[in-house]
Amino acid sequence: MRRLLHAILLGLLGAGIVHIVVLLLVPEFTERDAWSRLAMASDLYKMTRLDAEAGGAPVVKSVDPLFYAAACRFDLAEGMVRIKAPGSVPFWSVSVYGRNGHNFYSFNDHTATGSKLDTVVLTPAQMIDVRRELPEDLQGAIFVEAPIEEGIFVIRAFVPDDSWKPIVEQFLEQSSCELQDY
Amino acid sequence: MLKTALLTLLSLAIAIGGGGSSVWYALQAQSGVGAISIGQWTAFPEIGTQNADPYSKARVAREGVLALGKAEGLSFIAERDAAGDELQRQCDYRIEGGFPTARFWTLYAADQSLGVVDTGKPRLAALQSYQVLRQPDNSVVIAVGNRPAPGNWLLTGGFGRMYFVLTFYDTPIASSTGLSDVTLPRIVKAGCNA
Repeated sequence: MRRLLHAILLGLLGAGIVHIVVLLLVPEFTERDAWSRLAMASDLYKMTRLDAEAGGAPVVKSVDPLFYAAACRFDLAEGMVRIKAPGSVPFWSVSVYGRNGHNFYSFNDHTATGSKLDTVVLTPAQMIDVRRELPEDLQGAIFVEAPIEEGIFVIRAFVPDDSWKPIVEQFLEQSSCELQDY
Repeated sequence: MLKTALLTLLSLAIAIGGGGSSVWYALQAQSGVGAISIGQWTAFPEIGTQNADPYSKARVAREGVLALGKAEGLSFIAERDAAGDELQRQCDYRIEGGFPTARFWTLYAADQSLGVVDTGKPRLAALQSYQVLRQPDNSVVIAVGNRPAPGNWLLTGGFGRMYFVLTFYDTPIASSTGLSDVTLPRIVKAGCNA
């Protein structure tokens, strides 16, 4: 009887250890995170709609139904990436995520000059290079220094009602996400 | 000898089964570590950041969430009404009260996966702050149900569990210091179609 109790206690202790180990390993081994889902849907440097409105199941879950969203994956090891979207919509906001889905920078249209979305994501090392001589066409851009290599850039745009749908759709369609030569 | 083997097996079964299922359970729950509750509403302000607790990190990884950034907004989820009952799609509710400062907010009725509920009607089961009517004191009363209601009406329908998701965009409450004295609207059950 005492040995049974001993075995159960040992089991519970083991359960605690397994709990912690599994919890810490989930982010390492998951194939269902945002990066993997986006990788299945499209290539690097390609804006992909996240909401279900564009047809098919939503790529990333729990996007506000009154929002349209698009995302692109980038790899800063290949160079800095520039994201632009012309046109104006009632509200847009963007977030930069690391490969693991951790958000480390976000801003919205009030931050940008003239509500125009024009931003460059780059590593601190690339930032030093760019600072030395800022190219003419990057003057108005918002620079986001990211201490990562692979990451995800997400644009979210508010659709107040049906009449805004084509405009917001166009805003996301015309958004670009490309490697910036420097 | 056999007894020792069986006991070892029992220990291992408890360890692996218990450890695995407890993680699964913890990741399913809407509340949990890192959650902030205001009335019936729960938010995870730290989710999707580097400072998040391991449970939030695992949840982000497992569900493929791309959480809203601090400059974007903050989402609250309600799964129970003011009386403590689970929200049901076949019931009518009244959401009433003041809303904290934000550029705008959206409210939608969600199913288990937190996607908007499918009512089979062209009208979306969602409302936003630019389209709501306000009381003289700037508070908002929203009728939730599958029959049209005067004033603000949030369409729902069907059967089963339901969640409300209330998201504030471009809001000072997203920075954690702002959360201390925020009040959110009450959810009151008005009746059910049994």
